[in-house]
Amino acid sequence: MIPDDARALFERLLEEKDPHPEIGPRVPCDQLLAVARALKEELEYRFFVYCAAAHFPAPKDAEEGTPAEILVAYRVRRLGPGTVTVPFHVRVPVDTASPSLASLYAGADWQEREQYDLVGALFEGHPDLRRIMMPEDWEGHPLRREYAIDTPHFPWR
Amino acid sequence: MALDESNKPFEHPVYSVLEQIPGGAIGLTTLDSLLTWGQRNSLWVFPMATSCCGIEFMAAACSRFDMDRIGSIARGTPRQCDVMVIAGTITVKMAPRVKKLWDQMPEPKWAIAMGSCAISGDFYRDIYSVVPGVDVFMPIDVYVPGCPPNPEALLEGMRALQQKIEAQRNGTWVEPVISADSHGLRAPGIPRVGSPSREDSVDEAQLASVQGMGLGGAEKRENE
Repeated sequence: MIPDDARALFERLLEEKDPHPEIGPRVPCDQLLAVARALKEELEYRFFVYCAAAHFPAPKDAEEGTPAEILVAYRVRRLGPGTVTVPFHVRVPVDTASPSLASLYAGADWQEREQYDLVGALFEGHPDLRRIMMPEDWEGHPLRREYAIDTPHFPWR
Repeated sequence: MALDESNKPFEHPVYSVLEQIPGGAIGLTTLDSLLTWGQRNSLWVFPMATSCCGIEFMAAACSRFDMDRIGSIARGTPRQCDVMVIAGTITVKMAPRVKKLWDQMPEPKWAIAMGSCAISGDFYRDIYSVVPGVDVFMPIDVYVPGCPPNPEALLEGMRALQQKIEAQRNGTWVEPVISADSHGLRAPGIPRVGSPSREDSVDEAQLASVQGMGLGGAEKRENE
């Protein structure tokens, strides 16, 4: 079932002046699935281009207790003549899951696993959320800001 | 460990037969040089090509430079090879795989570290996933510098290896002392193979890592 307001919401978000056009409008976390479904089934954005996550620590001048955030950016494409892509993103506090798009786009499966592996983004409803690139016994998520680049990994480095 | 074994003179059953014949030992000198010639001119290569150095290796193996003319034929399996050429960056995930392939090669065997990444990790050295030089887990005979080294440099490295094999069999080989300190470099946290400061626990941990390789997810949880 597609909520009637999902498409309207997304079109309104697109119209807003966005300081970061490359990651598109920010979608509220609880409406991400509805927006993605509207994009895929109504507007025919059927090709999943990428999902990329980034870790944002709390700013230094922020209030006490402000959590670090994970930004997960998506981009989907409408195929055929006049092909066009649409970006959108969600922002969630660290260690909070955002909805997984793997049930909607099969291409999101491994991409979300990669973001989980490297950045530690969590996805609710993902069928098989485990490491995909780093060794199975790796500790931590290396692309987080607090991860020291020269962390030793005995016995190999 | 492997280095010590390769330093021993090559023992062939022909030796013991010839030694029993009066005056037969004189023939050994000629025979030995023949065997040395054969060994140094039939170095079959296992290309451990993980990145751009592999392209230069391919160029060296193809018609313009033609590694075949010095008897170096590239084979796809470590069990048929004498020399492993590590051409490229080795990551922490790849390192147990490389070590497993190296352990599968029959003695006598040699290894060439081709390019800056295999030698020291180069500018990836401090990255969380990169091994700072392959001599952290296996002995290396020849280091070919370059980023990537051109085919001539690799052939020069093969020539250096041939000279080393010749010297080893003649008994004139002196193992050079290599340490990061001697060149004013910062040593990696894990001492290189053959270094006096290397502890056995490192080798044991690396072997355990090779044996536990590939166990992930459900399989690993079952074992626990």
